[in-house]
Amino acid sequence: MSNLWALIVKEVKELVRDPKILIGVVLMPIIIFPIMGAAIQVSQESVERAIMGASFAVYTDDKGFVTEALLGYLYTNNTVVPIEAGSLEEALIAFKATDSSALIYIPRGYHANVTLGQRGVLLVYANLRNLNMAETQSTNVVTSLINVYNYYFSITKIRNLLEQTSSVGTPEAVRSPIGIRYASILKGNVLDVSPNAIFSLVMGQSIMLPIMVMMMVVFAIQMAATSIALEKEQKTLETLMTLPVSRFTILAGKLSGSIVIALAGSVSYLIGFGFYINSAFSFVPEVTTMNIDDVGIGITPLGLALVGVVIFVTLVSALAMALSVAVFADSVRSAQSFTGALITPIMIPAIVLMFSDIEMLPQSFQWIMLAIPYTHTIIATKAAFLANYAVVVRSILFISVWTVVVLYVAAKIFSTERIITARFTFGDLGKRLRLRRHAS
Amino acid sequence: MAAVNLSPPLHLLSARLRSSLGKVGNMDAIEVRQLTKDFGNTQALRGASFSVREHEIFGLIGPNGAGKTTALRILSTLISASSGKAQVFGFDVARQPEKVREILSYLPEDAGAYQMLSGLEFLEFMAGFYSKDRAEMKRIVDEGRKISGLGERLSDRVNGYSKGMKRRLLIARALMMKPRLAILDEPTSGLDVIQSFHVRNMIREYADTQGVTVLLSSHNMLEVEYLCGYVALIDGGVIIAEGTPEALKERYGGKNLEDVFMEVTKSE
Repeated sequence: MSNLWALIVKEVKELVRDPKILIGVVLMPIIIFPIMGAAIQVSQESVERAIMGASFAVYTDDKGFVTEALLGYLYTNNTVVPIEAGSLEEALIAFKATDSSALIYIPRGYHANVTLGQRGVLLVYANLRNLNMAETQSTNVVTSLINVYNYYFSITKIRNLLEQTSSVGTPEAVRSPIGIRYASILKGNVLDVSPNAIFSLVMGQSIMLPIMVMMMVVFAIQMAATSIALEKEQKTLETLMTLPVSRFTILAGKLSGSIVIALAGSVSYLIGFGFYINSAFSFVPEVTTMNIDDVGIGITPLGLALVGVVIFVTLVSALAMALSVAVFADSVRSAQSFTGALITPIMIPAIVLMFSDIEMLPQSFQWIMLAIPYTHTIIATKAAFLANYAVVVRSILFISVWTVVVLYVAAKIFSTERIITARFTFGDLGKRLRLRRHAS
Repeated sequence: MAAVNLSPPLHLLSARLRSSLGKVGNMDAIEVRQLTKDFGNTQALRGASFSVREHEIFGLIGPNGAGKTTALRILSTLISASSGKAQVFGFDVARQPEKVREILSYLPEDAGAYQMLSGLEFLEFMAGFYSKDRAEMKRIVDEGRKISGLGERLSDRVNGYSKGMKRRLLIARALMMKPRLAILDEPTSGLDVIQSFHVRNMIREYADTQGVTVLLSSHNMLEVEYLCGYVALIDGGVIIAEGTPEALKERYGGKNLEDVFMEVTKSE
């Protein structure tokens, strides 16, 4: 059994048997995400049910056949609670006593305005008792109902006018002379699909995948930092360093062990997230009615292989960085504080590039972002989806150069006594800053 | 304390005294000359010199902060000396660390074992670095199993072990591959009387039967007196006296090494 293999096996056993790692990294995503998805689904469905079953109150100060027609439409479509009152104030008091979430008020003059060819205005009051989603959405339902009525009412009026004036054309065309149809050009192909629908479709993959890669990197960094800090705290690192095995093999063993667990964590994350997306967004029509292959934007095997390379070089560099930094920690807790500083530059590109492209950013900000190696991880995973392989390869080269630099630094630290003697705490930093201030 | 270096004359004296000890070989297992080590502004070693004979149990004794651990870490190739020379069986620790690591076994003070591995897995993991094949690994692990005396408990995970059990496992780990040199830093630190007794016996028995050279450090002078055939007293980064426990007691008129240490530091 080679020394490297023994070190990897030891590292994996130590990590996987640690309940914090096993539960936090491997089991939680596969359990928590489906639960979250189910919870969102239940809550969304209950909101929808509440909206559909919501009752509206109607109070009118007006009379006339136009008003009667509107009331007739409202009464046939919904559970409408008519409010009998002497004034609007009284009506509002009565409305608050009902279970209704919205009051449609037909003011005096509505009938007169409409019959004189003027606009009739309705007032909708929403009763926000608990300020929940169903209450705030209830006015939208009222608006949709009125809009449907409004549409057919206007079409009827236009048809009458067209007949009276013997004009040509359809009422629909007169009402809305210009219509829009959407098409999208993707990878050189013209698709009869709106860009919004395509965005909804690819969001789950082209945007969530880079985020997941970054999450995996964060897991791996925390694991590697904790593992090296534990070795220092328990002095197993000192024992390890006196064994007849090269320091680089020890470093490689640590990196590989963390990579194995990070990959297991990301597979679990991927499965869990798949459940989450399926259950939480099952009500979004674009996701369920369209297939990613129908519009030809699935990732190719070559793209997938390149994403694998991107993930690998990103992980190696992030882990080497975590190990290099964590050896300066004097305890597990301070190692975790140090990794917080590492995670920030990794998460910033992920967040910034989640909904925008690097070209959309201001020039100076673009340069700052491009200088962060992990920006290229996001750029490469997005480019792999769009089959821009030149961009992917360029990004891989950039991250690889960074990886070599970080590995060299880590190997240097591991080959010197600093790995044993280095101690740095935030208290030291404070002390040094105070000393410098006194000196100046 | 003034940095008076008494080491060279003491070393010459020790060579004569040691030649009378039966089991001790004639070859130097360790040779340390004028060793210094600076950590920034702190000088942990200030020209320490001593030598350890093959098959000897050598005790480096002194109070906390005397430079014991620094000397042992330099000899174990963990850190490098600022100046001076340190050799293990003729190999220079600075220039030939790989050679040194093949023949030594180091047990740090307050060392732990991998918490999530079983005792047996820990021994197997460590044995793997010293064996060419599975059969050799098995032989080493069987030896470790015997030394530890932990029996069935070796199948349990280390995180369920008491402090004494962990120490027995670690001593077994350090000795099982029959290293030419075992460097043990405070091997009984933090253990109660019974656990310390067991650990001391383990070391003594193994060194006697297997001919392993042992360099151990301790601030427990009575323990060293019991275990070691030869001792060096270190304080302020220099060796202030050395000899067999009997010779030192006679020379400084002490009942035990503690008295000797107090007497030597007073005269310094």
